[in-house]
Amino acid sequence: MGLSISTLFSSLTSLVRWSKEQDVRILMLGLDSAGKTTILYRLQIGEVVSTIPTIGFNVETVQVSATNTSNYLFPAFTTLCQFKNIKFQVWDLGGQSSIRPYWRCYFPNTSAIIYVIDSADHARMGTSRTELLTMLAEEELKGVPLLVFCNKQDIEGALKPEEISEQLGLAGGEKTRPWSVRGSSATKGEGLEEGLDWLVNAIQQK
Amino acid sequence: MYHLLKGLHEYLTRKEEFSVIIIGLDGAGKTTLLEKIKTLYNDIPGLTPDKIGPTVGQNTGKITLPSTILQFWDLGGQRGIRNIWHRYFDDCHAVVYVIDAEDRERLSEGWEVFDSVLSAPQILGVPLLLLANKQDSPQSLSVDEIRHDYEDWYQRKLESARRTSRYGEGENEITARRQRIASLDVMGISALEGTGVRAAVDWLFIRVQNSRRDVGTGGTT
Repeated sequence: MGLSISTLFSSLTSLVRWSKEQDVRILMLGLDSAGKTTILYRLQIGEVVSTIPTIGFNVETVQVSATNTSNYLFPAFTTLCQFKNIKFQVWDLGGQSSIRPYWRCYFPNTSAIIYVIDSADHARMGTSRTELLTMLAEEELKGVPLLVFCNKQDIEGALKPEEISEQLGLAGGEKTRPWSVRGSSATKGEGLEEGLDWLVNAIQQK
Repeated sequence: MYHLLKGLHEYLTRKEEFSVIIIGLDGAGKTTLLEKIKTLYNDIPGLTPDKIGPTVGQNTGKITLPSTILQFWDLGGQRGIRNIWHRYFDDCHAVVYVIDAEDRERLSEGWEVFDSVLSAPQILGVPLLLLANKQDSPQSLSVDEIRHDYEDWYQRKLESARRTSRYGEGENEITARRQRIASLDVMGISALEGTGVRAAVDWLFIRVQNSRRDVGTGGTT
């Protein structure tokens, strides 16, 4: 049954020990239906707390993004998840360009970024790439470790991590940050723990 | 007065930072090496070998030595990613090339790639260390055998180049390469067990100090 709570726990306890009372902000981003919510639930990160965005987002806009992530408890744009002392702040970009200028409000004090890509969605790979590169260009995210989950590897026709890495064009351009492109299947729970292990290590070594 | 003391303190405790890139074929053990270096030199241990898979991306690591910081870049070795290595050549102070001394079948592929690294003009003057990894395996070639294998490979390459049309091409180039190879250091390590890793880091520590090259002086390039 893929990941059990205990295996994930062991991979995260090292981070907990290291960051006593420390607020580790990990942003999980990606286009809608990439599988962020599934990953989140798969990781079983304890209690899932939903927060209403502090900045004035249009509720309708928010609901547009929430329709794609039907298992969100509330139609909220950001979801704050707490596991022991680690806070994952998860949000869905939803693709609406009108609210993108506000994303940067969440960028300060970010310890790591998890970017989720639907490997089978060939048509929107370009959009996904643009969103990622625009975000990485932000001064506040300079040097922040990046983990890319090439999700939905279980679907036939899904692009391999190597192919996606090439399309993203991170190689050579992102010299300052550690980054890793990995395959995952959120529905099967594959690749997630390995990715998180890598990310925790990258955060600690900063 | 405070600023004077502060400035003095900063001057005395200042550490120079050097960049080292770790390259080589996929599966050579580059990430295992980097994580082992982190474990040996830092308070927080690196990833254990069982948690390391093929790298699509880059791993970084920083270790602090007396008056020196070594910043490592471990770059992916798969065929598709190799063509980005050269983008790191301009800013690096040392290059570590890791070869899998156990995998005899891929040695010539490894030399092919190594050869292109050797002849990259940006790093001609940069310290280059060849690491024969996986010395923990009894099947592995020794340091001497690795050195000979490379020289044999290179001779074969030269001969086949002579036989084809490119006869007499670049005598100077060959001389430059000869000097490069003559000064090349080869060390045996086991990234898995950590044997030889400290010796390799010591080598880097000494060599980057001696061959200070002004890469992007002033920090902004």
